[in-house]
Parts: sequence; C-alpha cells; structure tokens
Amino acid sequence: MKLSAIRPIALVLSREMAITLLLLLGVSFVVFIILYLSPGDPFSALLEGQLSSGESPSGAHEVLGVPPSWYARYLSWLANLLQGNFGTSIRTGMPVLGEVLRVGINTLILTLGSMLVTLLIAVPIALYSVVRGINKISWPLTMFAYVVSALPVFWLGYIVIYFFTHKLGLFPLAFGYATTSTKFGWLYALLPIFVLGVGNGTISEVIRSLRDEMGRVMAEDYIRTARAKGASVWKHSFKEGLLIPVTEIVAAKIPFILGGAVIVEQVFNWPGMGRMAWQAAQDRDYPVIMGIAILAAVFVRLGSLFQSVVYVAVNPRASKE
Amino acid sequence: MTTAPLLKIEDLRTYFYSRSKQAFIRSVDNVSLKIATGETLGVVGESGSGKSITALSVMGLISDGPGVISGKIGIKTDRVQKNLLHDLGDYVTVTKKDNKIMSVKKDVDGWQQRSESMMSRVRGKEIAMIFQNPKSSLNPFTTVGKQIAEAILLHTAITSEQEAKDRAIYWLDRVKIDSPRLRYENYPFGLSGGMCQRAMIAMALASEPSLLIADEPTTGLDATIQSKIVDLLAELKSELGVTTMLISHDISIISRLSDRVAVMYGGTVFECGPARDILAVDAAAKHPYTAALLTSIPSARNVREKGYLQAIEGDVLDTINIPAGCRFYSRCNRVTDTIREKCERHEPDLREIAPGHKVRCWLYFE
Repeated sequence: MKLSAIRPIALVLSREMAITLLLLLGVSFVVFIILYLSPGDPFSALLEGQLSSGESPSGAHEVLGVPPSWYARYLSWLANLLQGNFGTSIRTGMPVLGEVLRVGINTLILTLGSMLVTLLIAVPIALYSVVRGINKISWPLTMFAYVVSALPVFWLGYIVIYFFTHKLGLFPLAFGYATTSTKFGWLYALLPIFVLGVGNGTISEVIRSLRDEMGRVMAEDYIRTARAKGASVWKHSFKEGLLIPVTEIVAAKIPFILGGAVIVEQVFNWPGMGRMAWQAAQDRDYPVIMGIAILAAVFVRLGSLFQSVVYVAVNPRASKE
Repeated sequence: MTTAPLLKIEDLRTYFYSRSKQAFIRSVDNVSLKIATGETLGVVGESGSGKSITALSVMGLISDGPGVISGKIGIKTDRVQKNLLHDLGDYVTVTKKDNKIMSVKKDVDGWQQRSESMMSRVRGKEIAMIFQNPKSSLNPFTTVGKQIAEAILLHTAITSEQEAKDRAIYWLDRVKIDSPRLRYENYPFGLSGGMCQRAMIAMALASEPSLLIADEPTTGLDATIQSKIVDLLAELKSELGVTTMLISHDISIISRLSDRVAVMYGGTVFECGPARDILAVDAAAKHPYTAALLTSIPSARNVREKGYLQAIEGDVLDTINIPAGCRFYSRCNRVTDTIREKCERHEPDLREIAPGHKVRCWLYFE
C-alpha cells in the first residue's frame, strides 16, 4: 500500500481514538452513577447476615479507605485507571484487569465465532436472492432464516443442549473447561458459538441489508459496464455491494451480539465476560463491573474503528474529505 | 453488398412486461439491421423508440423479463458466423393470435445461463460498448487505468500487468487525455465527464473489438464537450476504421459520423439506407417521420425558412398499444386519401425503394 493511501487511514484512526477516549470516560461515569444509585453495596452482599441490622457499612468503608463522597470515589477510581490499575475484585481479591482480560478473550472467541456463523448463513442467502430474485429456493430459505433469527437465544440454547447433550450425549455441559482440557476440546466450543450465531437475531438484518445494498449496486451503471466488457460482476460489485455493508452491519450489531453472549454464556457455562458481569452484579462487585463495562465499550468501539478503516481504505472518495 | 455483414440483426423482438398495465411493452418489435465491416451505422430516433434496447439486446444485457423473445443476432467472428440467439427457441414459447403476440412463456434462468455462456466470449472481445453518463459508467472504487488494463488483460494477447499498464496508457494518450501517466492513477470522481467518456472509449477500444456500440455517447455532457467527443470519434473512425453502431437522438452527431442510417420509431425501423440519401434535406424519397424529424432540428436553416421551429405533432407511440396499421399513422401529416385505409389497417413492411435504401411507408409502394 502506498503512503498516500495510509495517510487518510491514520487520520481516521487518530480521530476514532479520540472519540473512543471520550466515550470510555462517559461510559465509566454513567455506569458508576448507576451503581452508586442502585441499592445494596458489596459489603452487605458479601457479609449478608453477619452484620447486625443497625450497623451501617460506613465503618467498613472507613477501615478499607473508601472515600465518603461519590465523586471522590469516582475520581480515585479514575486516577487508578490512568495508572493502569483497574482495582481488585471485592469478592475474590484478584486484580480486575487480569481477570477481565482472561474472560474477555473467551467472549471475543464466542462473539467473533458467532458473527462468522451469522455471515456464513446470511451472505450466501442474500447473494443468491440478489442473483435469482424471489424463487422457489430463495423464498423459503429467506423465510427460514427470518424465523430462526427470531428465536430467543436462551430457548434455542436449551433446546440445543437438550438435544445434543441430554439426548445424544455428544457434548459436555461445561463447555468452557472443555476448550482447554483435551486435544479436540475446542470442538465443544462450536455448539455455543453456533447457537449465538443463529440466535443473535442479526441473520435477518444481514440478509435484508445485504440484499438491498447488493441489489442496488447490481443496478448501477458501472456494473453494466463491467458486464459489457466481459469482466466479473462480483469483482466489481465486491467493495460497494459486500465489503462495506457487511462491515457496517457487523460493527452496528456488536452491542447486540455482546448482549446475546451474556445469555449464551449463562446457558452454556461459558467462562466469559457476560457470566462474570452477571456474578459481579449479584455481588455488587463494583471494580469488576466497571472493568467489564469498559472492556465491552472497547469491543464496541473496536468494531466501529474497524468499519471506518475499511470504509476509508476501500472508498477513494472518503479519503479526500 | 458482396461480403457478409459483421453484424446482422433479424426480426429481433425484445419485450417487457408491465405489471401495472397487464400488458407487454414492445420495446423492440421486429427490428432488422445490418452493419458491414468498417462502416458506421447511425441509429436515430426519439426517446423510447427502442434504440438502446436493441443495443442492449445485442450485448445480452437485458435483465428484466421476458426480454429478448425472438430473432437472430448474427456476428462474424474469425470468419465464423455465430448466432448469439442460437437455441433461443428452446426457452421461449410464444402464443400468437391474429399475428399478434398474446403471451410469452420464457425460462428466464435457463435462457440467462445459456446466453451468458454464449456472450462471455463475445462481450468486450467481439463487441465493446460505451454508454451515456460516463461518470457513473466507470467503477468509482477503482482507478481509471486499472479498469482499462483489466479489459486489455481479459481480451488481448497481453498477459503481464506491466505491459497492460503501458498499453492502457497508450490508449489514454490515443483518446487525447492529457498526461495519461498521471490520469492512469486517477479515480473516476477526479475526472470530468468528458474525460470519463474518453476513458470509456479507451477502455472499449483497448480490448480491440470488431464492433463498437456507442449508446448515446454524448448525452449528459456539456455542449462544448459533446463536440469534442464527436471530433474524437470521427478521428478514431478514420484512423482505426472501427465498425461502429452509433445510437443517438441527435441528428447532427449521426450525420457527422454515419455511413448508413437507420431511423427507428415505436420499436421498429422506419427507414434505413445511406446517410447522404436519408439525412440530405432535399432528398425526395423519405419516410414522413424522417422528414418531420429533420425539420424539427433546431438549425439556422429550419428556423429561417419557417420563422419558428417545427415540432412533430402528438406524442411518441407508447409501445404497449401498438395499432394495427402504421405506427406513425396518428401523427403523420402526409396520409393521402388513396392510401388512408392501408395506413390505418395494415402495417407496411420495410421495402427497398432505391439501391440500399429501404422505407416502411405506403406512400412509396405501388
């Protein structure tokens, strides 16, 4: 790639980075406020039944050096964060950063894998119906895909477990641990990935938007030119008709897929961020919740960063802005 | 003509179906045309007369149904005559009533596959095409140079990327684009409309086709750019001798570039013959429609003689309700009482009235 092509990408990257920093600050603040305003606190959750009713937790705060006012707490958390310190889990006493990254990787595998499943199902259906229009094959396929992506993911998860684990005995229940224990353990990971890929509800949207976009591009004058000169229509329509819309929709759907991952991780015992967040929320484990919120926001931003980079790299007009 | 023509269209019919009107749009209805090697055939007519659809049918680029339903498109390639619509009958069933087509059943997918495999050896290689609106006809995501080099790699003996690039630059220079080496790297959005059309012409010629179809090549360009593109086409014609089918509604362009002219109206050919016979203002025998078309050109002479610009009365024939008689009957101002009945009831055929000059009009038939 030439230098002239890298410059606009670098520009976009730096702009996106700046936006990301502001966004992360906003996310951390909002999550912190929600946590502060919500009832309960980690000490009463942890010491449930061991504190006498009249005793306030402020004594424990004082002993542990927790600042009294909410803004002081937020600022001290932020100051630690800027030094790379995410704090320690109140429940386990482990450093939050390491814990969150460990489960973050698992969630990344789950979400990226499921996105791949979604695309592998949706893209062929969309392209087929662009080429052939509505016919005896594309219509039922599209309808089936629409129905499937309307299934609630927890229901689909339990049905799949009932069938493959209970009835056929093909898969173990503890998926996460299976991934590391044996040589072919990773195969077990395919089941939750598949369930999230099918059940995250984005198949229908990918089909619809890709069919519209590709259909629009196929009607463009320059595709007619490509056909008239005997060149591959797919080669010429790839960038505008497939690459840009796919990255766009994937980036836009990351929050929803992460939301679906929370459920799938519960159902399949997948040791990911969703499960950890769920546990931390029950324990009011504030540092962990904050860490996960930040990481989830980072994932979402990475998606849109990726989209912007692809768009600028592909579209010569965008780089002239 | 002694040698076989390069392109010979016979009885081509291309229909579309209008859902809202529950009827066929007979865009191209029984068109026959011939183009000899080295000549330029100008196809002229108002919008909706079926000029472009004829060209797209030749290229196999009709994608709406039913599309091409009958006819022959013969093209001479390496001394072999090929019919691009060979075996078409296997996919189409036409029901006729009173010599009018009532319904068409077409296996569009099968036909499309068949046509694609046939056309893949023809498009670009034998027939190249340029379009109107050159800016949107070039791929905005690829440099102009790469698009030309692609055509060269696909259709000529050149296989190395570097040679293809050199050849593309040669063609950019040939169509008179300044600093072709720099322009090679430009994207279409960085070029003006006129430059895009030059690049389109370069791309079409770069694959060294035997026939060039230019579909309204100057439409959508500024008037000054239009004349420059016409100059370029005229120059390339005299230097390279490219066989061309030139489609335009602009008679001045047609008369400048064409050796022979075909006048189309309502989906069929009304008159064809040598350009000088048909477009000459004083020529005696010509179709009333051609005559009306010529007097409607905004030229100084037409305005001077009449003091105003003559327009053709009435609207262009809508090709859904084609009358039984002559398609031009309702707008014709030269119907005489002796032939009125024939004009109204029977469609005239295309008959030769002078060597190489054919007319579809009862006026000239005994």
